[in-house]
Amino acid sequence: MKQVIILGASAAGISAGIYLKRAEIDFLIISKDIGGEMLTSGIIENYPGCEVTNGFELTKKFEANLKYYSIEPILDEEAIKIEKNDKIFTVFTQKNTYQSNSLIIATGSKPKTLNIPGEKELKNKGVSYCTVCDGPLFKNKVVAVIGGGNSANEAGIMLSEIAKKVYVITKNEFMKGDKVLIQKLLSKENVELITLGLTQEIIGKEKVEGIKFLDKKENVIKELVVDGVFIHIGMKPNSEFIPKEWNILNEYNEIIVDKFMQTSIPGFFAAGDVTDIPFKQIGIAVGQGITAALSVIKYLRSLE
Amino acid sequence: MIKIYTTTYCPFCRMAKEFLKDHGFEFEEINVEESEEGFREMVEKSGQFGVPVIDIDGNIIIGFDRKKIKELLNIK
Repeated sequence: MKQVIILGASAAGISAGIYLKRAEIDFLIISKDIGGEMLTSGIIENYPGCEVTNGFELTKKFEANLKYYSIEPILDEEAIKIEKNDKIFTVFTQKNTYQSNSLIIATGSKPKTLNIPGEKELKNKGVSYCTVCDGPLFKNKVVAVIGGGNSANEAGIMLSEIAKKVYVITKNEFMKGDKVLIQKLLSKENVELITLGLTQEIIGKEKVEGIKFLDKKENVIKELVVDGVFIHIGMKPNSEFIPKEWNILNEYNEIIVDKFMQTSIPGFFAAGDVTDIPFKQIGIAVGQGITAALSVIKYLRSLE
Repeated sequence: MIKIYTTTYCPFCRMAKEFLKDHGFEFEEINVEESEEGFREMVEKSGQFGVPVIDIDGNIIIGFDRKKIKELLNIK
């Protein structure tokens, strides 16, 4: 039985762990991996204290923070169910159960899928959610980026340096996100922006051969011949294991927290991208993780 | 014998390489961004394009699947 269990070992979870360790709290971190989606970030230029870094380097730095404090997370396990009975939380993973007085959920988010024909079937056969990983394999090929925000902007820019031709398809009237990125994207000669385009199908047998999209301007289905499809349509929170009847999730399945990172259930805290915070940023996740840790410490004292 | 198929900046490839190094295993790295032949070999072995692909004595692991690597290499 632990005082606290932290679920997730990225920006929020690790930051919480550091503060709990320093307060000599008996806790456990359980996570599928270290770094989560942060690891797949390309270049990072907005995390204070690091002028320029990337997802890999920053994850390694967070990992070093854990080593410094001799915090050993339990990896390769994920919560599949949680329960609360008489002020005690039970976390069920694929192979074990753990108990604690309080919980900090810092499980982050994962890329949304389009849920269209061909997407699942052609995953890793030209369909990718990690441009940093798979982009370089499309040298001189034709690719499509699906999405209308910053990660689509970044993916389009990166691919424009590699591929022969890049279609960026957004369902919106224009690209959203950082102006600097949008301008850079649109300045690329081999990038063609398709607005008001609803991607409907990814075509191909052994590998991606093309896509079909609805052109809402002309209200016709169009087809493009492409070798790769990079999907960047946003993220969804990793909150499936939280019981619906607890009523702490909003319409996007994000955990609703107050300024102490406390949910409406005593002893149950959350931090980072899994919460309903409007801005999903590494720096914000760090601050939320610290807030959650300090709030948990206060909560544990109230139990004594 | 361990072979790992990678691209230069793929974070999961770097994680996988560090994991193997940390546990004292030697491996041959094939950067499929630079080697077309390596890319073909990877696709043949794994039936897909995603990196990393790890070949441990003929057992093919797609992605940085720590659990499977640990099983195959008997890492506790």
